[in-house]
Amino acid sequence: MRRLEHIGLLALPGLTFLAVIFALPLLLLLLKSFQIDGQVSIAEYRLFFSDSYNLTVLWRTLRVALLTTLLALVIAYPTAIAMSRARGIWLSVFLVAMVLPMSVGVVVKAFAWSIIFRTRGVLNDMLMSLGITDAPIRMLFTESALIIGAANVFLPFMVLPIYAVLRQMDGRLPEAAASLGATPVFRFFHVTLPLSLPGVVAGCAFVFSLAVSMYVIPSLIVGERQQTLSMLTARSFLYLRNEALGATISSILLIIAISVVLGSSWLANRLGARS
Amino acid sequence: MPRSAGPEPGAHAYLDVVDISKAFRGTTVMSGMDFRVARGELVSLLGPSGCGKTTLLRIIAGLTSADAGDVVLDGRAITKVPAHKRNISVVFQSYALFPHLTVAENLAFGLRARGMAKAQTGPQVADALALVRMSDFAERPVAALSGGQQQRVAVARALIVDPVLLLLDEPFSALDRKLRETMQVELKSLLRDRGMTAVFVTHDQEEAMGVSDRIAVMNAGRIEQFATPSDLYARPASAFVMDFVGLSSRLSGKVKVSEAGALRIETPYGEVRAKGALAPGAKVVVGVRPELIRREAGENTVRVALADAMILGAKTHLYGASTGDDRLLCELPGIQSGLERGQQVTFGWSVDDTLVYEVER
Repeated sequence: MRRLEHIGLLALPGLTFLAVIFALPLLLLLLKSFQIDGQVSIAEYRLFFSDSYNLTVLWRTLRVALLTTLLALVIAYPTAIAMSRARGIWLSVFLVAMVLPMSVGVVVKAFAWSIIFRTRGVLNDMLMSLGITDAPIRMLFTESALIIGAANVFLPFMVLPIYAVLRQMDGRLPEAAASLGATPVFRFFHVTLPLSLPGVVAGCAFVFSLAVSMYVIPSLIVGERQQTLSMLTARSFLYLRNEALGATISSILLIIAISVVLGSSWLANRLGARS
Repeated sequence: MPRSAGPEPGAHAYLDVVDISKAFRGTTVMSGMDFRVARGELVSLLGPSGCGKTTLLRIIAGLTSADAGDVVLDGRAITKVPAHKRNISVVFQSYALFPHLTVAENLAFGLRARGMAKAQTGPQVADALALVRMSDFAERPVAALSGGQQQRVAVARALIVDPVLLLLDEPFSALDRKLRETMQVELKSLLRDRGMTAVFVTHDQEEAMGVSDRIAVMNAGRIEQFATPSDLYARPASAFVMDFVGLSSRLSGKVKVSEAGALRIETPYGEVRAKGALAPGAKVVVGVRPELIRREAGENTVRVALADAMILGAKTHLYGASTGDDRLLCELPGIQSGLERGQQVTFGWSVDDTLVYEVER
């Protein structure tokens, strides 16, 4: 017991760092959003929610984050299964393919996409020369482009937790299921999928949190035309000099993030308790 | 070793493994493997790790595909039938219970995989739980069970679907020694009562002797001998089988004289006589089961310094001084006292009990 208490001291530097650099500023921000002229008030929130433009932005932010998470999940799950079965050189190839893109900055990626997706870009040239379309299709500056781009950037955060869980799974379990008469589809839905759910929950929580608060990717891909909460926050602080509005939007983002973290850990605990 | 009440060897083959070959990454695991089991028979594949026994089991189950050859079950070739359509249940070494399901849900899995509605599985699950005396544990998560309880659940889960064949991969190896024997007795009578045909894979010769009607001793991808436990022990077909099954004295030697089926063999412990037809000069291994050696002169007699006397309770093991790989082991009943290390002892045994194997060159 004594020994464990000492080991707890090792977490002290990290906790102090988090408290001073992360928790304290956010707490001050939160307090600011509930204050007007030194009075406690929810007026800023009332103001925010009464503006239909803000509601459009809030809904768009949540929708983009949700669709990004879903797209990443659909692409990541089969990838994670393939990775969990890969051995030797193939596993290394997969892991490098996951980690390497993270070291390329989002700015670089975004400009690289624009070469492909812009009106006179590689993709449109190809579609037109194949006769699939007569006029170039607008792909950049759309919500779809944003979702595809965001899913690409955040994909490793979905693949790796699912891969980690599948890798730990006893390989005999699907075999035992097969010997008990379970078809490949039955095996997937009754053995592999339920056992991988903790990884799915963790991956979704990561990607949703990242996507709901992303700033650089939408700025580069959709620009000012379609705002998200993060962009609105930045605009409030930087251009409008409206600190109260900025603090309010930040706090809304913070509340969304905290709900996701708490909700996912509650789900993970529930799933964990069953096994 | 009493002969168990299984079907006779050579009876109509229920499971017929014909000419199976398998290689992994260019390394041959087995080639031309034949293996037949009669209906209702309990058979063990016994051998050291890497001998191919688990591969053979997996090929029968359909979890690994063979490169060549056929698996025939009850007259029907199932070589190309996928595992989930074979109705062959497997009990794995680690039991492979589904960790996200309760005991009852684990049992119901095979029924549900066959399309039975969840609500209808109750009576059969209850029966299967009663069969392995686990009725009180139905709603427990499997992680909360002891090793012996997990094994019972694994067996019940395998049997509930009424399989045509049961395969067990080292089913007792995760249990401690005392529990292992209890579980062996329990499982054996359970399978007998149901007339189940079963193949065990094991590296433990005592376990194989305990649960099987017949044992196939495997070595390097081949079956060295396929016989009843008593035949295997009394008349091992090779020096490998003699060493692997039971204890034995083992002397290396060379045939000096060979006439009319009688051999005189030169060993480091002196001359030994045996029956056999080997050419003079042939290098041989001579073996004797320890309980067939007495502390008195016999047809073969050796005088040797006592290296150790191990009192094991029901029996005492006397070890003669060894020379190289050779060893002399005499097993006497009860507690033998008054023996001292280094004292000269006389070991004697009969010509008929002397096993001789030519050393392969």
